[in-house]
Amino acid sequence: MSDQGREVVFAQAIRTALREEMKRDESVILWGQDIGVYGGVYGATTGLQREFGKERVRDAPISEMAIAGLAVGSAILGMRPVVEIMYADFLMHASDAIANQAAKWRYMSGGQFKVPAVFRSPGGGGSGYAAQHSQNIEAWFCHIPGLKVVCPCMPRDARALLKTAIRDDNPVVFLEHKSHYTHRGPMPKEEETLPLGKADVKRQGSDVTLVSWSRTLLWALEAAERLQDEEGVSVEVIDPLTLRPLDLDCILESLGKTGRLVIAHESHAFCGVGGEIIAQIAENHLDLLKAPPKRVCAVPCPLPYSEPLEKAALPDADNIAAAIRKVVG
Amino acid sequence: MQPERIEQLLHYYKDMLRIRYFEEKILNYMLPNKLFRGSSHLCIGQEAVAVGAIHAMEAEDYLYTTHRSHGHTLARGMDMEAAFAEIMGRTTGVCHGRGGSMHLADASLRILGANPVVGSNIPMAAGSALALKMQGKPGIVVAFFGEGALNTGACHEAFNMAALWDLPVVFICEDNQYAISVPEATAMADEDLHERAAAYGMEGLRLDGMNVLEVYEYCRASFGKTRRTGRPALLVFDTYRFVGHHTADSEQYRPKDEAIEVLREKDPVHFVEREFLEDCLVDPEKAVDIRLEIKEEVEAAFQRALNGPWPDPEKLTEGLWAESEVTCDE
Repeated sequence: MSDQGREVVFAQAIRTALREEMKRDESVILWGQDIGVYGGVYGATTGLQREFGKERVRDAPISEMAIAGLAVGSAILGMRPVVEIMYADFLMHASDAIANQAAKWRYMSGGQFKVPAVFRSPGGGGSGYAAQHSQNIEAWFCHIPGLKVVCPCMPRDARALLKTAIRDDNPVVFLEHKSHYTHRGPMPKEEETLPLGKADVKRQGSDVTLVSWSRTLLWALEAAERLQDEEGVSVEVIDPLTLRPLDLDCILESLGKTGRLVIAHESHAFCGVGGEIIAQIAENHLDLLKAPPKRVCAVPCPLPYSEPLEKAALPDADNIAAAIRKVVG
Repeated sequence: MQPERIEQLLHYYKDMLRIRYFEEKILNYMLPNKLFRGSSHLCIGQEAVAVGAIHAMEAEDYLYTTHRSHGHTLARGMDMEAAFAEIMGRTTGVCHGRGGSMHLADASLRILGANPVVGSNIPMAAGSALALKMQGKPGIVVAFFGEGALNTGACHEAFNMAALWDLPVVFICEDNQYAISVPEATAMADEDLHERAAAYGMEGLRLDGMNVLEVYEYCRASFGKTRRTGRPALLVFDTYRFVGHHTADSEQYRPKDEAIEVLREKDPVHFVEREFLEDCLVDPEKAVDIRLEIKEEVEAAFQRALNGPWPDPEKLTEGLWAESEVTCDE
């Protein structure tokens, strides 16, 4: 972190990664709905068609099954497609190509093929898009062996991880947060990559380990600051960055210090990644826990439209702080 | 008939016999002796499409097939022992026992894989064609599927994108009349299936799939056109499967004698034999010798496959990840 670099918004970090990788490797190609002249509904591909042309940056029809299916077929023959599915909710249309085909093609063939495809998609609530344009479905893809799943929050991480995802020879589901594209953060000028499967300690602490990702990480950091300032509770905040493969070692190391665990994510608790992390710790490292762990997640309900309802449904710094107090107390 | 034409017909005849005997071995020996798991989808009756179309491909071309893949893969040259071994789940199988009958693939023959999720190989084939186009490589992609796949959303999305983006892919629909148990009239709003191509500005042809030489000629012409123009095409071949959808099919959805009648009339293997005999192209005794020779070849491959070792359960996850194996979360 020697050079923090200039401040960029999250969308620009994504765009930077795409641009750098497209310059670096001709086999990197993009397609998706409205990603050409329009630059994607969240501006993640602005200017890329102008720079790289209509062959390498393609506007696709509203055909998620084929958008993802073509990605798999082109990856099998050596391209590195990065396709955008406009909303993570629409990944359900594309999920046969991702979960049935991309994830399994190598294994089913006895290791004969590689599928280096990246499926980018924005999910998440907080913008009043209601139940079918706001879901966080990282757990769905984490469940499938053969897929890597990345859920970055900070622009710098997003750029470095997307570059690695594109270079990875396995299919990667890269989930961005829709209400987060204008979030600002520092990003160095020089190129950098981060390994998939390595977590990052975002804040050092000694009383509680707080694991959080995607946009919820912002609320986690806010809660941690507040508890430190107001109540003297020292919270260590970990961003796994990649949910599969999961860097459990980083969490375990922190638990060795704190013995207390809170996990906060915007997706639902039931069968979620937070539950998986707790299960893995309970199965093999229960002795590390001094208190029962807690999860802070979305209320199990389709996400409502109305602002006070949506606010009530999603985790925020207050919920997270309350959970930490329970675990500490 | 010219001598080279007779040679060609003999070559195709042998390939069709190989497929027929391979599948009869599955049906008549491996099934009762429980030598494979799950089910196996046979193409008995459909061999002319597989052999005619595959021989119209060049070595540089790529191939996607379906759950009913034995015809396509064997015609393309898949080693019979490796195919049998795969179906029996042996480590000597072409996919080391990871795939089985429904997932035969062989990168060395450019068989990119069999896809038993109906319709899902169609977008993948278009994607592979896009890769060839972007890389400036020669070759086309040929994707086989049954008529049932024509009703999937994936199929229509991919037809549109293949035509829109000028992708060098030929879609071959093997219309065997039944999608498992459902006859066309029950599932197709319009039975002129090839006309669906017109909606995407793509050439669509409906052709007889029981005469292997005709299939070859049709495909040769169509593949050549796609090679020249880079445009996709849809070929619908009328064919018929004489056996059930898979090896566990009771076939109560069609009259008992229907298959026998079609078999008697249209069996693509008998069709070639009739051509031989009627036109005195091949000595009848030679035809018998050929049959025996292929039967022995299939039997020998089967016996070798039967001796193949089982995969090591310790290596269960091998081949899941490209590059280094990921173990930190498992």
